[in-house]
Amino acid sequence: MTHPKVRKQHFKTVKEIVKRANGKVVCSACIMGLGQFLYRQWAKGILYLLIQIAAICFFVFVGAEAIAGFFTLGTIESNAWYGIEGDNSVIMMLMGILAFIVLAIYLYFYYANIKDAYAMQCAVEQGKKPRTLKDEMRSMLDDKFYKTALFVPIIGVCIFNVLPIVFMILIAFTNYGPDVKPPVLIDWKGFESFIKVLTLGQFAPTFFKILLWNIVWAVLSTALNYFCGLGIALLYNKKCVRGKAFWRMFPILAYAVPGFITLLGFKFMFSYGGPINQMIVEAGGKAIGFLDLDAKWSARGIGLVVNCWLNIPSSMLLATGILSNMNRDLYEAAKIDGASAFKQFTAITLPFVVFATTPILISQFIANFNNFGIFYFLRGGGLIADGYFLASDTDLLINWLYNLSISNDYYSIGAAISIIIFLFTSAVSLAVYVLSPSYRQEDTYQ
Amino acid sequence: MKHIKIRHTVDTVITYIIILAISLVFLFPILWLLLASFSRSGSLYSFDGFFPTEYSLDSFKKLFTDTALYNYPRWFGNTLFVASMSCLFGTALTILTAYCMSRYRFKSRKALMKTTLVLGMFPSFMAMTAVYLLMTQFNLINSHWGLILIYSAGAPMGYMTQKGFFDTIPKSIDEAARIDGATNAQVFLRITLPLASPMIVYTLLSSFVWPWSDFILPQLLLKEKDLYTVAVGLMSLGDDEFARFAAGSMFIGVPIIVMYFALSKFLISGLSAGAVKD
Repeated sequence: MTHPKVRKQHFKTVKEIVKRANGKVVCSACIMGLGQFLYRQWAKGILYLLIQIAAICFFVFVGAEAIAGFFTLGTIESNAWYGIEGDNSVIMMLMGILAFIVLAIYLYFYYANIKDAYAMQCAVEQGKKPRTLKDEMRSMLDDKFYKTALFVPIIGVCIFNVLPIVFMILIAFTNYGPDVKPPVLIDWKGFESFIKVLTLGQFAPTFFKILLWNIVWAVLSTALNYFCGLGIALLYNKKCVRGKAFWRMFPILAYAVPGFITLLGFKFMFSYGGPINQMIVEAGGKAIGFLDLDAKWSARGIGLVVNCWLNIPSSMLLATGILSNMNRDLYEAAKIDGASAFKQFTAITLPFVVFATTPILISQFIANFNNFGIFYFLRGGGLIADGYFLASDTDLLINWLYNLSISNDYYSIGAAISIIIFLFTSAVSLAVYVLSPSYRQEDTYQ
Repeated sequence: MKHIKIRHTVDTVITYIIILAISLVFLFPILWLLLASFSRSGSLYSFDGFFPTEYSLDSFKKLFTDTALYNYPRWFGNTLFVASMSCLFGTALTILTAYCMSRYRFKSRKALMKTTLVLGMFPSFMAMTAVYLLMTQFNLINSHWGLILIYSAGAPMGYMTQKGFFDTIPKSIDEAARIDGATNAQVFLRITLPLASPMIVYTLLSSFVWPWSDFILPQLLLKEKDLYTVAVGLMSLGDDEFARFAAGSMFIGVPIIVMYFALSKFLISGLSAGAVKD
């Protein structure tokens, strides 16, 4: 755990820079790149200067207005009668967040610029040459390789993951709903939607009922998928099995057909006119509505089994990949010590696989918790059961969210619910993750 | 000795029975869809139990020739383009991210790891609304590049699997190369990547399958019928077109199966076995 130490050092450098910075470093703090020019590092100076100019242009032409719009969420109400094209609050919020991200990136470069100038000052004071752009580039491919490699992924994730999520969080604090949506102006409302979800008779009973089923679903389906996948991978890895690639083909085949097709296929299979009911009728029985509105547990059971069918192949593939990277010597040693096959499994295979897959186990739990497709395709969306508000008894929270927000425009309520879901899942999985060996002893197998 | 041999045989037989059962479970629904695609009537209700009463190749012929309303070949090409592009970019970004997270110790590392874990926990499609608005602002509605951008940018969020794998490759291999004078970039390209080939294959496959079979995002972003991906196109088929649906879904599996067999050789062998001598 080097982290706290590193952080302390980090603050120390900031303090040190403030205390010891010479005039040239201060120049860099005023105009990016100026300090670098004064130390005769032209290439670096030009680079930083260009960043500064680009940032200024951005904020003068777009950024400042976008940030202001973020706070007001629009002031001009649209009026078709007078032909006034009003502000679109939703887009203003989005552009505001984008401007904040650009600002953060700019500040990062600004700090890097000062730190660089200070490093030059230190180098000169010690009688060394300041690092040139070429040196920096070389270090970017070597000890700072992570910076080069992570730059693009981080920007991409910021724009396409962080930004939408921040947007969604913020929507929860507005009054964006069926009555208030563009072109009507939206306003900041604080915690109003959260209070509605947890106390209002309309939402609260449905919420708690669905939450309970959602937890049961996530735990059961994750455990089933994980252990069945691991089991099958181990089975196919046995020495006596010939034609491993051939046998593996069958789960791969299932993996190859996209989920929604299989789900629709299963839906047809269990439908009234489907083959299973036809056989029941032929045997003299009565057709069963497996997926009917009142078929609570049979629909849930079918959901679990179908979900296994869909997800076992990928966990099998994963387990196969992980097992192939295991150290064979351990088994040889265990055999010499006379360990049984079962003992070998519990003492060698399982710890190794669990070590390598705990993070995946968590992400599978989350994926199952938020499995939108399964019941959406299996039962068709938009079913509404007795005692539920805009939901049915197999619906997971995510399906309810869909019904609320996309189908019925309860955006702020939907956003508030997704924040509650998030708080729950993140608390559970962060706890599991931090306690797991793959986080605490990352270097065990390295 | 004989006793052990019998036990061994029994074990083998049981193993094969289980394997057969598993194979059947996975094969059956696909076989059912396959046979349905050959049915003459095209409607599910004319079937006798699981199987159609009459067979013909009509629905396949219709699938590729009757393109006025449902242009399947076009959809297929669109999907192939989007999925392979996102697969390439996504895999590259994911592997890079996972490698850095596994091998470097830098100051914001643990914070980044926790942040990505936390971000992954948000119910993703509440964010869809925002993604849609963002794409309208960037003018990427009705564009395949918009989809590719979203898929590739989202891919590194799933780096954890790959990081777990890199964590299991012994560090002593890296150190040996460093002593021989390799830079970190060289270590990554020449040593870690070849060793990680099973994991790269897994990443390639999974980042191909996601865009290939995703339904929600293309439906949101592609409004013109000619730009549809197969998933959206098949969903737009009417109820009376079950055979065409089944026929169309058969071809969806083909690229993934081809990819699997092309790559399975790398998936199975663990190259780093025996690379380090203690």
